[in-house]
Amino acid sequence: MERLTPRVRIVWLVLALARAAIIGGFIVGGAIGLSRTELGDAVPVAIVPAAAVIAVALAVIRVFIAWRRYGIWRFELRDDDLYIRRGVFTRTKTVVPFVRVQHVDSRRSPLERAVGLATVVVYTAGSRSSDVAIPGLTPARAEALQESLRRLAIESAGEDAV
Amino acid sequence: MKKLHPASVAVRSLSRSLNTGFVFFIIGVVVSPGGNGMDLLSIVGLVVLGIITGIVYEFAYYQRFRYELTADTFDVTSGVLSRRTRELPLGRVQNVDIRQNVVDRLLGIAAVHIETAGGGETEVSLRYVSETEAHRLRRQLRQGTRTEAEDTDSLEGEEAAVGSTAETAEEEELLFEIQPRELVILSVFTIDPGASVLGGIALSFASGFDPTTLVPADRISGLPGPATGAFALVWAILVFLLAAWLISAILTFTRYYGFRLTRSGDELYYERGLLQHYSGTIPFEKVQALTISEAIPFRWFGYAALSVETAGYAPGQSDSRGTESAIPLADADRVVALARAIEPFGPIDLESPPRRARERYAVRYLLVVAASVAGAFAVARYTPLDRWYIAAVLVAVVPVAAHLKWTNRGFHTGERYVLTQTGFWRRTTKIVPYYRVQAVLHEATIFQRRRHLASVTADTASSASFFGRAATAHDIDADRGLEVQAAIEKQLQERLRVRKRQQPADRWAQDSSDPTDDTSMVDNDDPC
Repeated sequence: MERLTPRVRIVWLVLALARAAIIGGFIVGGAIGLSRTELGDAVPVAIVPAAAVIAVALAVIRVFIAWRRYGIWRFELRDDDLYIRRGVFTRTKTVVPFVRVQHVDSRRSPLERAVGLATVVVYTAGSRSSDVAIPGLTPARAEALQESLRRLAIESAGEDAV
Repeated sequence: MKKLHPASVAVRSLSRSLNTGFVFFIIGVVVSPGGNGMDLLSIVGLVVLGIITGIVYEFAYYQRFRYELTADTFDVTSGVLSRRTRELPLGRVQNVDIRQNVVDRLLGIAAVHIETAGGGETEVSLRYVSETEAHRLRRQLRQGTRTEAEDTDSLEGEEAAVGSTAETAEEEELLFEIQPRELVILSVFTIDPGASVLGGIALSFASGFDPTTLVPADRISGLPGPATGAFALVWAILVFLLAAWLISAILTFTRYYGFRLTRSGDELYYERGLLQHYSGTIPFEKVQALTISEAIPFRWFGYAALSVETAGYAPGQSDSRGTESAIPLADADRVVALARAIEPFGPIDLESPPRRARERYAVRYLLVVAASVAGAFAVARYTPLDRWYIAAVLVAVVPVAAHLKWTNRGFHTGERYVLTQTGFWRRTTKIVPYYRVQAVLHEATIFQRRRHLASVTADTASSASFFGRAATAHDIDADRGLEVQAAIEKQLQERLRVRKRQQPADRWAQDSSDPTDDTSMVDNDDPC
């Protein structure tokens, strides 16, 4: 079982913090806005600190999830299929037979480029969350993975997907 | 290159000008303040302009539209402003549907829709061609793929093996015809969501836009004050429900009137409809999954429905109005027999989820009850209502509900098919051939992990699973789930190897026929 590059935690942490900041901004901003209006007399004084506490708690949970995600993520190229295990709360184990691979993408977001990582996305004709992305790969590993997936998909092909 | 039927200009511009005319009408109403004669004139002018624009556009559309059926592709060139040339390889065609409404039938024209697996929309819509042309196209589109397949594989030989002649393709074998009794039951118990709107509209017309005329005021005037209002309200609701139900029954009746499903060679052909006439084909080799659904009032009478899923579209998708490629209602036994005729699966011998799954549902429903008690308490606090604790009576229902949910769930991994079942109100049984599986997912939420449970999904390319109706074995033991996942994948590879041996690796003939399943029509799937 192959693990992701540890640096992927940086990507996930930055994303988690950015999202937490946006949502926290909305919560705290809403609370401040509410306390400034005429309604402000009716709402308790503690609303703004309470909102701040909620925002921080959400941020901590997000960071925790992002950290745990790395520990759980595993993938493996087996004989006939690609096996992926992921998910902090909902643990998903996906089996994608090479025969079913339609095409393989490799992509790098600006954040990933900044830390020197890449994501490989495997597409199938299936409909439900079976298009799987493997994040946190070094560019060399991503290229090798994409190449071997492509080769394995062609080797096992011979049947239409639909 | 062929053109559409000339009458399509008239029919298309009629529907188009109704649309554009309506838009211009709205614009006219919005733009002109007040309501004097001058404004009325400008509204009429705009509407006329809209209609003329529609007619001109449709004429140009008709002039530009060309289609052609070649030896191995179906080509369409179309577009007024932006032009498009589309080429469909015949081997990729999933379904061909023909639709006719009353006007179309009077004019002898029909709309032809051709579906492939790519994209969510219908790939080619010919609106409209003549009736005979529509049927010729349907036949030829299928025959094109068949002759192509015959070049490379031994389809004919395999067909002979099941005891049919080489001419099966031309002969139609009636698989199912809806009985009057079934049609009546279906009409009476189907609730059409659109019918309530129509019922409301019909009622408001019937009452001359004055709802009070529908209430028999002279009869209830003797009652004391507050009772009159309550009675009038209940009366109005009853009348409304009755109207909606009647309209729903009529709609369902006309929709499924004369439903027939025939098998000709290697494809299914359906027709139905009293006013709007629908027909179409589903090739056997494009079938992704079968779904047998037994909704609650019908299950009591021993009836079930069947839908045949392809990657082209799903029954119930967009405007296709319900189950096109399906049997709307029939005896449960007959439905299962028909499903076996399409995919010869073995006995439905399901493995139940472990008992702790039932506990999980009980806990879940208890939480729902707790939430509703809390809700009732909140309501009782701020309104004159008291006795909020009455909501706790729902606790009595919890064990029953949990048991029913548990008992209706199950799965079975046979030799060729994986079967999954779920749902109490609408029990659906999915039959997925292994070689249609795209990926296998083993999922366990945090709550499932507490009880060492998991859900295993066999994902297919069927478009029905876009709506979360994939074949999922819910809440099975986590270790058993891993076994099932591995087994499905192993069977998929095995079935693919079998198919590959029987079919040479020709590109377009690959998916044209499945001899393994054809021969197995006679013997049963798996005895286990």
